[in-house]
Amino acid sequence: MSWRRIKLIFQREIRDQMRDRRTLFMIVILPLLLYPAMGVGVAKMMSLFQDQPRTVVVLGEGELPEHPKLIQPAKAGEKGPRRFVEGWFGLFSEADKLDVYTESMLPRAGDVKADPKLKQLLADAKRIRQKYEQREKLASTPGRTKAEIELVKRQLGVLFSTSQIQVLIIVPDGFGGNIAEVNRLLREKSRDTEVVPDYGRPIIMHNKADKKSQIAYRRVSRAVSAWEQGILSERLSAAHLPATMTTPVNAEAVDLAQVEDISQSLWSLLFPALLIIMSVTGAFYPAIDLAAGEKERGTMETLLICPASRTEIVIGKFLTVMTFSISTAILNLLSMGLTGNFMMSTLGGGIFGQINNLAPPSLSALLWVIVLLIPLAALFSALCLSLATFAKSSKEGQYYLTPLLMVTLGLTVICLSPIVEIDWFTSFMPVVGPALLLKELLSPQGNAATLVYAIPVLATSVIYSMLALWWAIELFSREDVLFRESERFELGLWLRHLLREKEATPSFTEGVVCIVLIFFLQFGSLKFHGGLDPTAPLQALKLQMTYLVVAIACPALFMAVMLTKSVRQTLRLRWPSGTMIGLALLLAVALHPLSLELQANLEWFFPQLPPSVTKQLAALTSDELPLWFMLLALAVTPAVCEEVAFRGFIMSGLGHSHRKWLPIMLSALAFGLIHTLPQQMFNATLVGVVLGLIVYHSRSLVPAILFHLIYNSLGILRGRIGTTWIEDSPAEWFFAADGGAIRYEWPTLLIAAVVAVALLRWLLAQPVGDSTSASANAKLPIESDVNVKTSVRV
Amino acid sequence: MIHAQDLTKSFADLQRGSVNALDHVSFDVQPGEIYGLLGPNGAGKTTCLRIISTVLRPTSGSAVVAGYDVATQPEEVRARIGFMSGNTGIYDRMTAREMVEYFGRLYGLEEDALQQRIEEIFETLQMHEISDRLGSKMSTGMKQKVSIARTIIHDPPVLVFDEPTTGLDVLVARAVVKAIESLRDQGKCIIFSTHIMREVEKLCDRIAIIHKGKILATGTIDELESEYDEPDMEELFFELISRNDAQVAAELA
Repeated sequence: MSWRRIKLIFQREIRDQMRDRRTLFMIVILPLLLYPAMGVGVAKMMSLFQDQPRTVVVLGEGELPEHPKLIQPAKAGEKGPRRFVEGWFGLFSEADKLDVYTESMLPRAGDVKADPKLKQLLADAKRIRQKYEQREKLASTPGRTKAEIELVKRQLGVLFSTSQIQVLIIVPDGFGGNIAEVNRLLREKSRDTEVVPDYGRPIIMHNKADKKSQIAYRRVSRAVSAWEQGILSERLSAAHLPATMTTPVNAEAVDLAQVEDISQSLWSLLFPALLIIMSVTGAFYPAIDLAAGEKERGTMETLLICPASRTEIVIGKFLTVMTFSISTAILNLLSMGLTGNFMMSTLGGGIFGQINNLAPPSLSALLWVIVLLIPLAALFSALCLSLATFAKSSKEGQYYLTPLLMVTLGLTVICLSPIVEIDWFTSFMPVVGPALLLKELLSPQGNAATLVYAIPVLATSVIYSMLALWWAIELFSREDVLFRESERFELGLWLRHLLREKEATPSFTEGVVCIVLIFFLQFGSLKFHGGLDPTAPLQALKLQMTYLVVAIACPALFMAVMLTKSVRQTLRLRWPSGTMIGLALLLAVALHPLSLELQANLEWFFPQLPPSVTKQLAALTSDELPLWFMLLALAVTPAVCEEVAFRGFIMSGLGHSHRKWLPIMLSALAFGLIHTLPQQMFNATLVGVVLGLIVYHSRSLVPAILFHLIYNSLGILRGRIGTTWIEDSPAEWFFAADGGAIRYEWPTLLIAAVVAVALLRWLLAQPVGDSTSASANAKLPIESDVNVKTSVRV
Repeated sequence: MIHAQDLTKSFADLQRGSVNALDHVSFDVQPGEIYGLLGPNGAGKTTCLRIISTVLRPTSGSAVVAGYDVATQPEEVRARIGFMSGNTGIYDRMTAREMVEYFGRLYGLEEDALQQRIEEIFETLQMHEISDRLGSKMSTGMKQKVSIARTIIHDPPVLVFDEPTTGLDVLVARAVVKAIESLRDQGKCIIFSTHIMREVEKLCDRIAIIHKGKILATGTIDELESEYDEPDMEELFFELISRNDAQVAAELA
């Protein structure tokens, strides 16, 4: 691989993109102009859309206590709606946002004509009050059916929402008088206060589902609470009682947040999300142009005959896309940050309360942004380039890339949630890991402890990017991708081809489809066996068995029968040599203690299981169930079903082009992921690799089934044999007791490890005789195995 | 310098099933000769030439170009051939000089040698006026000149031309043919595909007539004409094609 050539290609692509007016516009001009333009737009909109005043109708104003006043008395001759007294609002200007209408506003008969709006409002209000009283009466009378009450309730709701009233206050008769009465009693310190019955309370009617009503209600309720406090303090002072009588505690809240901290938490939420979105969109268009555009413009062939290898070409293009992805992200963030800062300082107040000046992010924060941007950009660039390579034209490229955009948006939304935090488990996930780490590092509470997560995050990011890049290189080496002719897809023809022109073993795509099918079936089956009843373990086990057969074995068998000529060859149903069987049995016994201890030691890494699940698991493995049945359900059935599916159909499909490690790893990964508990996933993947190797080298499914059977059985038996024989015997050196189940001490593990390694080495040294190749390989005089890939079969 | 042995290339097509684009094609080309591949559309000419230039991989068979196997040492092969076809476009946003320089550098030419060579080629092909013109602003003839310059910048011993005069007007086509002739006179090993009889008669030393992936006849023009007793190349061509079709039909029946 020549870095000189990669550099040449990279430089040419960059220069080419920079000369493209469209690219320059999208990547440089647009971000710099877009955000200020948006800022101006938002400012204009905000000034246009003033907060509309909301309508409040008060019935029974005359019954309100004389003072303190709730509603501003109308000045003589003043038209228009009234206002609540300003003093009851936190911000005086809020009082102007509520239009208050009362009955007293109606002019006396014969005077100036009444405002029709006022008349309508008051008429509506009276109807609502009537309906409300009807509902109250219905609710309190026994013997009324639920339906009747519901009907009236609904009518009330309709009446309210069709009126123009956002909040309706109904003051009951004698309200003011009752308050004055209690005041008097309190003042005279009369004994009678104890027997004062409760009097009718005012009603504040609103509709929480209606945003306008909700806003108005909040303001009204705040004002009314303040007014109530006013009444209370007048009452207390009139009775010569201390004003603090009702608030003995009244703790003072002390907020230590600095302005910088508030800004920082804002950046910690915004930046990760923006970084993800910007790096994807920045990679999007260059990738399409460099892959699909190359085909469209007819320069693909020119590129392929130059001395650079496919790998060098792809790496050169990848570096170009990544450069643009990073530049886009940085330019967008800069532009957005500056605009946002400017807008905050000019418009101020509003959503963020008193923050008028956002402190810009600190230097170290910016540094972390750049550091974590690189792996994100790398991953997205490689993925975009891979997907774009499939496309024959730029338009098609956009179709392929849009789902990627959707997925990243989804992941971004997840990262925004404050609940989701970085921990060992999430630090291994592709996009989420760097985003969460950045969120943590940028937040003001970010402590040095989170830096330790940087290691797995960066390491895994590099690995994922390289995997994606490897895939891009793979695609670029495939003629059927590079030279795709436009196909006219005909369903009938395709189906006929699929069913009639079968090969002995499934194709790669069929293997993948089987995996997807199994996952869907598992998802669907959650409905039936997701809630295992811990009190009926027998039933649960039966369900489990059914699930394994239906969701795992059936799709594989079905697809094998329908889509391949030789089920036997696909599922490798032949009897292996005795040595292989012996190897499988021994290996299962040797790997069991190692795997168990590994799983136990890794518990801290995985998320905690909810207690309900732990109970279900305990029930499944309880001593009450007959052993033979447990073995059948938890060892035999999974062994057969999972092997037939994963090491049978799926591995045959994925290994269609005679590769070794790709089908083993992919089928093991799928096998791991199918396990519902995260704790099991990791171990299952590792075991899956071993099983794959066994199947590959023995050319038979039988040893794998046996391995799986023994392995699972040992897991069950260790909980059933009992641990009493361990105590006070030489076995103590080798085994330990862990709440009724056997655990393994160091000597056992050591022996097991030695045996396992020896067996595996012997296995790997076995000659490869791939059962599915027939004699195809023998005909080719050319040794390289890439040749066989060129025969196209979708 | 080109030795093809039983080259076979098959594709799977939904409608037609497994298709043999090339079926056991064998031929040899020596330095200083122009070997012509003659055939109708879909005969497999482009596939054959793409295999020779390592763009495609053969399903079976082998090809050795300039001493290197196309399947096992493609990079060595690519460094020693120049390929030009109707599909090898030029970059829209590069000038002629930049394009030729880019490929020259990719081929590993030293800067001084590269510049000198560019001068020579621009002189020969009279490209000085388009030296700094962007690809999108060039006429078809100019684009072809740039393609030719790109093809020979590294002075390869083997040259592959796949219908290089498609869509060109008479003048430009003539210039291309002249250029190929002079390259042959320089001792290059040239393989050339076409379906224009005039070019075949003017240029090719030996020809192979290819149809549906098989070579029907091969030899110099004189040999073929006397063998099939047909002095007109075009008639000879049609004769062979129709004879082959009849044979295939008879076999199927």
